[in-house]
Amino acid sequence: MNGKKVALIGNPNVGKSSLFNLLTGLRQKVGNYPGMTVEKKIGFFSNGSFKYQLIDLPGTYGIYPTSLDEQVVTDVLSDPAHPQHPDLGIVVGTPDNLKRAILLYQQVRELGIPALFVVNMMDEAKKIGINIDFVELEKTLGTKVIATDARNGNGLNELKNALEAEVESYTFNYQIPENFSEKINFIQNRFSFETDYRAWQALAQNNVRHFSPDTQREIEQFRQQEKIISKRLQVKETIDRYGLIESQLDKIVLRTPNNRKSFTEKLDHLLIHPFWGYIIFSALLLLMFQAVFAWSGPFMDFIDESFAWLTGTVSALLPPGPINGLLTDGVIAGIGGILIFVPQIVILFLFISIMEESGYMSRVVYLMDRWLKPFGLSGKSAVPLMSGAACAIPAVMSARNIENDKERLITILVTPFMTCAARLPIYVVIISLIIPDKTFQGINLQGLTLFGMYVLGVAGALGSAWLLKKIIKSNFKSYLIMEMPVYKLPVWRNVLLTVWEKSLGFVVGAGKVILAISVILWVLGSFGMGEKFNNAEQIVTAQNPEMDEVELENEITSYQLEHSFLGYMGRAIEPVIEPLGYDWKMGIGLISSFAAREVFVGTMATVYSLGDTEDDLTIRERMAKEINPNTGKPAYNFASGISLLLFYAFAMQCMSTIAIVRKETDSWKWTFIQMFFMTGLAYVTALIAYQFLK
Amino acid sequence: MKFPKTIAHLKAGQLAKISGYATEEIPVKLYELGLLPGSKIILKKRLPFGGPLCIQMTENKNLIALRKSEALSLLIETA
Repeated sequence: MNGKKVALIGNPNVGKSSLFNLLTGLRQKVGNYPGMTVEKKIGFFSNGSFKYQLIDLPGTYGIYPTSLDEQVVTDVLSDPAHPQHPDLGIVVGTPDNLKRAILLYQQVRELGIPALFVVNMMDEAKKIGINIDFVELEKTLGTKVIATDARNGNGLNELKNALEAEVESYTFNYQIPENFSEKINFIQNRFSFETDYRAWQALAQNNVRHFSPDTQREIEQFRQQEKIISKRLQVKETIDRYGLIESQLDKIVLRTPNNRKSFTEKLDHLLIHPFWGYIIFSALLLLMFQAVFAWSGPFMDFIDESFAWLTGTVSALLPPGPINGLLTDGVIAGIGGILIFVPQIVILFLFISIMEESGYMSRVVYLMDRWLKPFGLSGKSAVPLMSGAACAIPAVMSARNIENDKERLITILVTPFMTCAARLPIYVVIISLIIPDKTFQGINLQGLTLFGMYVLGVAGALGSAWLLKKIIKSNFKSYLIMEMPVYKLPVWRNVLLTVWEKSLGFVVGAGKVILAISVILWVLGSFGMGEKFNNAEQIVTAQNPEMDEVELENEITSYQLEHSFLGYMGRAIEPVIEPLGYDWKMGIGLISSFAAREVFVGTMATVYSLGDTEDDLTIRERMAKEINPNTGKPAYNFASGISLLLFYAFAMQCMSTIAIVRKETDSWKWTFIQMFFMTGLAYVTALIAYQFLK
Repeated sequence: MKFPKTIAHLKAGQLAKISGYATEEIPVKLYELGLLPGSKIILKKRLPFGGPLCIQMTENKNLIALRKSEALSLLIETA
């Protein structure tokens, strides 16, 4: 038994999440509503012997949805059979926005949900000259009103204790406009709705998703026949309610005018300035990029070395054989490959949650909207795109902060085009092989090419975003109507909980897929069939009697890889990759680098019998000498090199990104569409480039 | 001088009262935020190149950012 289901309901920026974190602490479960990119946050807490399950619903201003997130709120609240439908609602408001919170409160109550009312951020009230008569407010709302301050936890115990108290029965009801009363009566009787407000909802909501298809059709027919436009009903209700609420609030809220120029206003003068605003935001993005890219280095090295040590130790402890290999090169290496991303995730989400908490993130949307909207992206997409230049994994995770579901989906789908750090080793090696180390007009050509690759990444991301905007349908129109709250100091509990939840979510949620793929790749590379694989040692020794021990060992490893399942797969895909200018050995590199792009260089080193060399120069010299057996030309010539660069620029060669996209979209469909689109684009551009240049 | 017609025509710092809507095709969210006929607003800031602008309702300190297209649908009169 999970206890009473309680839902936090409120407008954006009222500190709902702070309350949620304060009540549940680390006992949170974050996921998606089934099949949607909408975040579902559930937490657990108890008070004495009472247990509670707390649902943090997405912020909304009313029950008429204008986005998928708001649709979820409406679904949860209006469908008693919904798994998250609450037994009790907590409607959260702030002193300066009581009006909006009361509108939502009334709608929640009239849907038949008992609810408490919380006035959060009470410490602000005095500062801005607002005085609230709580006794009168309770009388008006017909429920217990609790003042809280989620920054320091004031009022929290009172709130917890109120959860078991009997909620007063609700007497106020929305007065159905007279010209509708007959129609509403008809609908109420026809479908036996409990209240006339439920019947009103059936007509006012564009679509009530939990009704049966027959009911939906019948209501739609009724609407057409009676010429009822849902939108007009929604507007009518909102205006009527506000009229009444305002007259009620006159007795409850006392305002002392306060025209002092606030801290927020002074700060905004700079932060959303038409010129300085962009300069400051660019500087912040650069700092963030630098942090994810460079500051994470030492931590990643540490994780890398620790796992290398662990692999070595375990490998020495166990007798050699397949179990040893599976544990060390499969499982331990796989787990290492997951944990290596944690430092980047931690650093990026420190930045992002501070930006969200302080109120700056909404300014980012305001500044960037004009420039990203034409591509079907949100102003907030600037953050994932920029961090994608370090690593797509934390970047894709950060897209969750985007409110509009279509913009969020597009951002997730195009972020992996950005040139991430893992592409750099391949770019550097290939560019040094095919582009002369000369300067043109004082610009180094190799540097210019590398810069071109970054531009190509941005172009790939924006171009496909534009394309996706045309393809993906949304039931909701794109708009920007967003409150920009006053600046606040971040609550550190919230920042740390975000970072914790993101890291854990990645390791547990995406880790499974990553581990599975790395074990599969290990099996493919370490096992083979037939004499050539099993007797590699004898064959190679017999063929190369003059080699010393190290050379021989490298040659055997290479020979074994060539005749493993992976080697045969490389040969099998050769007809497909030959038109791109690659041979089957490069095919092995392509397949194994599906684990992560940077693996390509290492695999090629093994294939070319260089052993585990880390020396770029050795690899480069060896690669320069390699001859493609199909063409008789160098394997890494200008044409095949450019083709390879293009392939790695566009192809979805990263299982960790695939895993995180799967987790964030909660859909294999979009994950596969992205994979095939990216790899398809990579194939076509590489093909054209090679055929044109060869 | 003729008073500007919609929020999008206001200059930074100008005060106005919402008088109605240019079209029915506006998100219900505008109403839910309380941008109703009769409410007073100030245009606080705007961005160049047809970018969004932000307004403030006289009763609280939060800014509301709107795209130009949304601002064009909010008709105003002198406050």
